[in-house]
Amino acid sequence: MVILLLAALAIPAVTGTALIVSGRGSTTSVERNANRLSLAASVATAALVVAAVVARPVVDQEWLPSLGVRWQFAVDGISAPLLILTAALSIAVVLHARSHPPQGGSPTTFYGCLQLVELGALATFFARDAVIFFIAFEIVLIPMWVLIARYGDSHDLAARADASGRFVLYTVLGSTLMLVGILALVQSAGTANLDALAAAHGAGLERHTQVIIAALLLVGLGIKIPVWPLHTWLPPAHTIAPTAGSVLLAAVLLKMGTYGVVRLVIAPLPAGFGALAPGFAIVGVVGILWGGLACLVENDLKRLIAYSSVAHMGFVVLGLSSGTTAGLQAALFANVAHGVVSALLFFLVGGLKERWGSADLATARAALREISPRLGLALVVGFAASLGLPGLVGFWGEFLAMYAAWSPAPDRPQSLLRVLAVVAVTGTALAAGYSLRVLRLIWSGDRTTPVHEDARGGEWSVLAVLVGAVLVLGVAPGLLFNSTIKDVAVITAEVSR
Amino acid sequence: MSQAVVSVNAGVLLPVLAPAVGAAAVLVADVAVQSLRRMHYAIALLSLAVGAVATVAGLGMVAGDARQTLCLPGGGQCMYAAGSVASALQLAALLAAAMTLLLSWPDDKEQAGGGTAVIVSLVLAATAGATAVAGARDLGSWLVSLELATLPTVALVALRGARSAISGAVALLTTALVSFGLLALAAALWFTATASGFLSPAAALAVVHDPVRRPILVLAVVVVVAGIGFKLSLVPFHAWTPEAYDGAPLPIAAFLAATSKIAALAALLVVIRAIAPMGAPVLTAIAIVAGLTMTLGNIMALRQDGVVRLLAWSTVAQAGWVVLPLAAVSTAAVHASAAYLLAYVLATLLAFAVVAALVQTRGAARARDLAQYRGLLRDHPVLASALALALLSLAGLPPGILGLVAKVAALRPVVASELWLLAVVAAVNAVLGVAVYLRWLRVVIASVDAPPQASQQASPQASQQAPSHAAPDSGSDAPVAARAVRAHPATLVAVGLSALALVLTSLSPQLVLGLLGP
Repeated sequence: MVILLLAALAIPAVTGTALIVSGRGSTTSVERNANRLSLAASVATAALVVAAVVARPVVDQEWLPSLGVRWQFAVDGISAPLLILTAALSIAVVLHARSHPPQGGSPTTFYGCLQLVELGALATFFARDAVIFFIAFEIVLIPMWVLIARYGDSHDLAARADASGRFVLYTVLGSTLMLVGILALVQSAGTANLDALAAAHGAGLERHTQVIIAALLLVGLGIKIPVWPLHTWLPPAHTIAPTAGSVLLAAVLLKMGTYGVVRLVIAPLPAGFGALAPGFAIVGVVGILWGGLACLVENDLKRLIAYSSVAHMGFVVLGLSSGTTAGLQAALFANVAHGVVSALLFFLVGGLKERWGSADLATARAALREISPRLGLALVVGFAASLGLPGLVGFWGEFLAMYAAWSPAPDRPQSLLRVLAVVAVTGTALAAGYSLRVLRLIWSGDRTTPVHEDARGGEWSVLAVLVGAVLVLGVAPGLLFNSTIKDVAVITAEVSR
Repeated sequence: MSQAVVSVNAGVLLPVLAPAVGAAAVLVADVAVQSLRRMHYAIALLSLAVGAVATVAGLGMVAGDARQTLCLPGGGQCMYAAGSVASALQLAALLAAAMTLLLSWPDDKEQAGGGTAVIVSLVLAATAGATAVAGARDLGSWLVSLELATLPTVALVALRGARSAISGAVALLTTALVSFGLLALAAALWFTATASGFLSPAAALAVVHDPVRRPILVLAVVVVVAGIGFKLSLVPFHAWTPEAYDGAPLPIAAFLAATSKIAALAALLVVIRAIAPMGAPVLTAIAIVAGLTMTLGNIMALRQDGVVRLLAWSTVAQAGWVVLPLAAVSTAAVHASAAYLLAYVLATLLAFAVVAALVQTRGAARARDLAQYRGLLRDHPVLASALALALLSLAGLPPGILGLVAKVAALRPVVASELWLLAVVAAVNAVLGVAVYLRWLRVVIASVDAPPQASQQASPQASQQAPSHAAPDSGSDAPVAARAVRAHPATLVAVGLSALALVLTSLSPQLVLGLLGP
């Protein structure tokens, strides 16, 4: 059983390294072979991840006895959906790249970087040792930096260098602060095992210490999530990154931040998080408004979706801060929902940007519903989910997050959170506003020129599967809620005690 | 009592004796057979190898255990003791010296005029000093061996004879003299405080509760930090570093960045270990110096356009990381500091080896100019990958996991002592460091066919570099490709060995951490 989990990590590691150190040719055949190899690797990894999610193996091996760091990997209800999301999207980005080959550098490096990003994300969600969690967290950095710096939008090289630099520097700052927090947590709690830390519920840690450690961790992870006002790296990174990079960034990397908050802050440091939760909720709601308002005026479609990510992650933050089981459930659901929806939208917008030559909304274009009904359908579903339409995946997480904020845990300031819940409702109105604005600008209308191709082949299958996921999880949210409920209850039962 | 005054165990002393004997043997061989230049290198590598093998017995010993010799009669104190940390540092110093020799391996065509014997014996002498200071436990041998580790490097820098080399050597010499003065003062203060010539915990412990002598001891430690600060290039004693590195031949710069740093840290650790059991308070002086050093080093490294100067400033920044854990005086801090140093030495040596290989293939002017690294990944994929690994290790990012683990180790004692401000300063510097090394890496992985005017806009630095890149010879790739100069095999061996070591230790950092004890 253990072999399943280790193989799920070994395959992307070996494939990624092999692809990067192998040939640098950029001929079509090299490109094809690299694509086939990474597709095979991603499919095999996904199969192993699913098997691991079912079998729930536990790995516990000594690695750095001098530092007390052990290879500890496991799967539980909280990480399982994220693991599957990561594995599935890794297949999707490779499939999508079939019809949209990488521009700007050797294809082998491109696919190798995708594999390494998958490795880092999977290892992060598998990790049960706090220091291993940190190392896994760092693995995604350089490959993602290469994806943005090398394969990103080459219209404006200065902007590309700026975006990739900002991404990597912000994230390193965040993760180093997180490392300081992790070391402090491990030092004072005496164990690096995340399950043991969660089981202790902060016992033996003074409130003062908990607050300091939780603050370090929240700032560090807040950069990754990203929480307003630490989000300024996100819009440029998304705008510049190639489609595959944007998708992985939004759907996988941002999730590592919220997942880290659950694992490293809420579970082991309940008192510390309780003290900081009101502030955390406030910045979350500011993010909702900020993102929504920015989306109303933003004219670059990719940047618009990046700002909408800030808003959606604001709902996640609000849910996390409520301190109730419902809030945590909502946050984890919204987390995955955003992963699916943002992946759909970035695939879509990446494709549109290639067709249009830019992602500028001010330019008059042919209406999608007229000339490319498949893209149009996917766009409607994506933005409908984004605005939180009931029956689609975006609804449950955000609705429940507001509900949880309205009736928070007893140790949270109720009136403040109620005010925040009301403000968050305004945020959903903003979301409706910007979603409909985008649909009006590019979906509706009766212009039929200039003509472009509709989605076909790999692109269409990826979009169709994601549209399906948006609908299925929207209709049957229990699939996800049931996965997380047991482990969430373990965390919150003690939080509210 | 009619026996010798001290007991001598040559086996234990072998890590020191081997390079010292090797240095003498090289000089003798030079007198005997003048034509065989390569033999000097063979003798030197052999003696370094013997020394390295001799350190193995001391590796991984439990804390407090040590191989001792030169002991006073009657079970008294020993003047030489090599525990796990000292042995690991000795091993690193010997291997780094061997790497230096590989990098400076003589070319067939070169007419050095008998200089090799001098260079080789100076390197060996300095290495003997480095290994000796790691084991020194009394003031006399500590002071003498530290100077033995320093003074030959002055000559090594100056030997090239170029104007920049002389000014670098003068900077280094001045620094060495001031540093020696401070250290001699520190030794005197130590003796005044403890009335003992030994740098031992027992001597320090005797003073802990004495209100008169304790401040003198603290002063001695502060002066030691200042004196060693010159050698480790800690701010504000760092100014010589870029001068000397840039003026020196590249292999010697690598030696300064590796073996000399090991010697300096080993000397500092001897003192820190002696005062560690005192339960000394947090050394605020070290905390401030560490924070300033890494900040200034990184900021200056960000502004450099020459790779040797960039590496020099990066050495300054990394020295800050090396002493960072020592702000909290404890055995764990000593281990963390040594672990960080070992990781840094490995990565820096690899970076220097790659630059040396590029000097041989592309010429010094191109290999020393950061802008000329554009597209290196396409032109020299293997060398560029090795360089990328070295830079990422220095930055502390995967796949350079060794560097990342070293950062974890270095931050642990700081966090354990709840020095939050220092920890945050270190976190900010981790970011600055990443900016420094990725600035270089970005050039390496950049595509060559990028339009030059666009790269000018790319950043302020790029626009500074652009003239040197574009102006003199736009077709500079062509002649180099035509010449197809290959790097010297010895240099490639150095690149390969250090890259292999870095890959293995990144897969299993315990290989490095385990050297320092369980």
